[in-house]
Amino acid sequence: MIADGTTQSAPEGVLVTTTSASTQSAPVHEPRPPGPPPSGEFPESPAPPRPRRLPSPIRPGAFGAEDATILVGAAVSALCLVWIVFYQLTSLSGGLGFLICWYLAFLGLTWLGTAQVIERQVATDRVVAVVVVSAAALVIGIIIFIVAWVTYKAVPTIHWAALFTKDQKSFQLAESNALDHVGILHAVIGTFEQVLLAVAIGVPFAVATAIYLNEVRGFGSRTVRTVVTAMSGTPSVVAGVFIYSMLILTHVISYSGFAASLALVVILLPSVTRVVEEVLRVVPSGLREASQALGAPEWRTVWSVVLPTARSGVVTAVLLGIARIVGETAPLLFTAVGSQVLNLNPLSGDQGALPLVIWSDVRQPNAVLIDLAFQAAFVLMAFVLILFVLARIFSRPKGKGGKGRARPEEDDLMARFFVPIPIEESESR
Amino acid sequence: MTTTLPTAPTGPGHPQPFTGTRTLGEPGQIDAEGVCAWFGGRLVLETVNLTMEQSKVTALIGPSGCGKSTFLRILNRMHEVVPGAQLAGSVKLDGVDIYGPGQRAMETRRHIGMVFQKPNPFPAMTIAENVLAGLKFSRSTPGDKDDLVQEALTKAGLWNEVKDRLGELGGALSGGQQQRLCIARSLAVRPRVLLMDEPCSALDPTSTLRIEQTIKEIADEVTVVIVTHNMQQAQRVSDYCAFFLAAENQPGRVIEAGRTEMIFGEPTDQRTFDYVNGQFG
Repeated sequence: MIADGTTQSAPEGVLVTTTSASTQSAPVHEPRPPGPPPSGEFPESPAPPRPRRLPSPIRPGAFGAEDATILVGAAVSALCLVWIVFYQLTSLSGGLGFLICWYLAFLGLTWLGTAQVIERQVATDRVVAVVVVSAAALVIGIIIFIVAWVTYKAVPTIHWAALFTKDQKSFQLAESNALDHVGILHAVIGTFEQVLLAVAIGVPFAVATAIYLNEVRGFGSRTVRTVVTAMSGTPSVVAGVFIYSMLILTHVISYSGFAASLALVVILLPSVTRVVEEVLRVVPSGLREASQALGAPEWRTVWSVVLPTARSGVVTAVLLGIARIVGETAPLLFTAVGSQVLNLNPLSGDQGALPLVIWSDVRQPNAVLIDLAFQAAFVLMAFVLILFVLARIFSRPKGKGGKGRARPEEDDLMARFFVPIPIEESESR
Repeated sequence: MTTTLPTAPTGPGHPQPFTGTRTLGEPGQIDAEGVCAWFGGRLVLETVNLTMEQSKVTALIGPSGCGKSTFLRILNRMHEVVPGAQLAGSVKLDGVDIYGPGQRAMETRRHIGMVFQKPNPFPAMTIAENVLAGLKFSRSTPGDKDDLVQEALTKAGLWNEVKDRLGELGGALSGGQQQRLCIARSLAVRPRVLLMDEPCSALDPTSTLRIEQTIKEIADEVTVVIVTHNMQQAQRVSDYCAFFLAAENQPGRVIEAGRTEMIFGEPTDQRTFDYVNGQFG
């Protein structure tokens, strides 16, 4: 060790002598004023620091005129290329095939163009970006198209006064088949009652199940969770058949709005349960401990601490659940059956519903009924949209004076659930 | 040795629920006798005998993982909340074994309150509701709610800061204020003992000093047991001190306990000396 140290110290000494030699040579530049060392790296007057110039960075996200030119050029040349190949060189035909070939050629030419003009790495990135953006645009485009088309078909023919005040009785009695004499009041009332009953029956069960899964963690909760998950994949027609065969064929209950709401409960239960369970899971466990340390029994902890903390999330879960069942058609076919006239009593007799109006009227060889079906579709869509907006509002953390500490977990959760909303998405862009 | 919760009655005691036998609000004395704790069959705390004197502040010090917090949670039956937790020995509040037959955990926790490391006011409740939460849970109705809120918040040193915004949500307060709100919440049920599990470790120095001041002020009304990693804090606030240590692959034990001046001034054990002088490890 010592020998090593001495051998190492020797070159150091040499180094020192060299440095001292260089410092000795410093007096050559004696005329310079004393102060900061006379070096090019340290300017003598303290100049304000300048931003260092970086070599022009590759920013794949940057999109300028050049990039736009490349894209447009690629699109146009792809169009020409595919037109020549498709219709001139080969005898292919068909719009969809043309479109797909054009898109692929467009991608290829985009890559080539960008690689030529900018760089290969950017080219790959640009092609991926084009694929991602066009996929998103396709989805948003389809949804906007559906909404716009239904609106276009429905709104010009709507007689607002009749729509929500009349049923289809006059049409049935052949008194008048004009649109100002028929409406969907029976369906709106029917859907309203069925959904309300389904929520009244289903939500307490769903919340209780979620509490069992997340708070009680009792016997078989793992099995229950699996069953709930599997149930959420149940085809809705099966839910209808279930109620039909178990309750209606056995004469426990008759065809009615109530039977329909029972079928809707089968669909509502798993979806609300899963969302509420997620919401309860993000309630910090410290709150449960604090509550227990204050001497609260477990039911008190759940009732007074966990559920109030998760309240906005539970409300959101319920609203999303309503949005899920309000448009269900298949389970209603066996249960509420549908009706042309207003039936206020959900407990007995056939009852109309918005999805049933759409389902039955749009197939009728009658312009008035087809218009009515589109109007029902429009109302249904607007209703679902309102529910989503409400859910969005409720999911916002609230605190008085805006000072309330946000609950980031819940925000994240809601962000997860709200990704599929196309309209909100397009607004935020 | 290992007994599943709750432990069998020990001693010639005449275990009776302490409801009614004593009024709430008098400081109590805790005697831990032969306390051992297991998590899933692994012994983490071995034979702790410790007395927490009435109206005094007892600090539990020691490195991480030596069983201080486990011991603290045993003192108000929060230990048994953890799945797989077991214990042996007895914990007596004024002579009555809190693990004895007929003793309910909920009741015990009303007499022995707890403040946690991370401030955890109930976010869905207002400041006033937070203070009254314990009473709401036990369904007891105080004479005058407003008076009680003021009293508890004053004791916790928070009244002047929040008296004009009692209707705001508890989450709107700063971290230090939240922790004092949690102390007020625990004090509102008038416990006889208040357990504090590193109450200042998530707070800034100013808030820490406020909490320490609060601890000193409430000590004549409630016995305080505080777990802390901060030696200076232990010296500042406590009357008695217990040093916990767990050797490698060994359960935690109490190495030394006594008056704080003694533990910090002239400890009898070399390991205590090393720890309090920062020569640990």
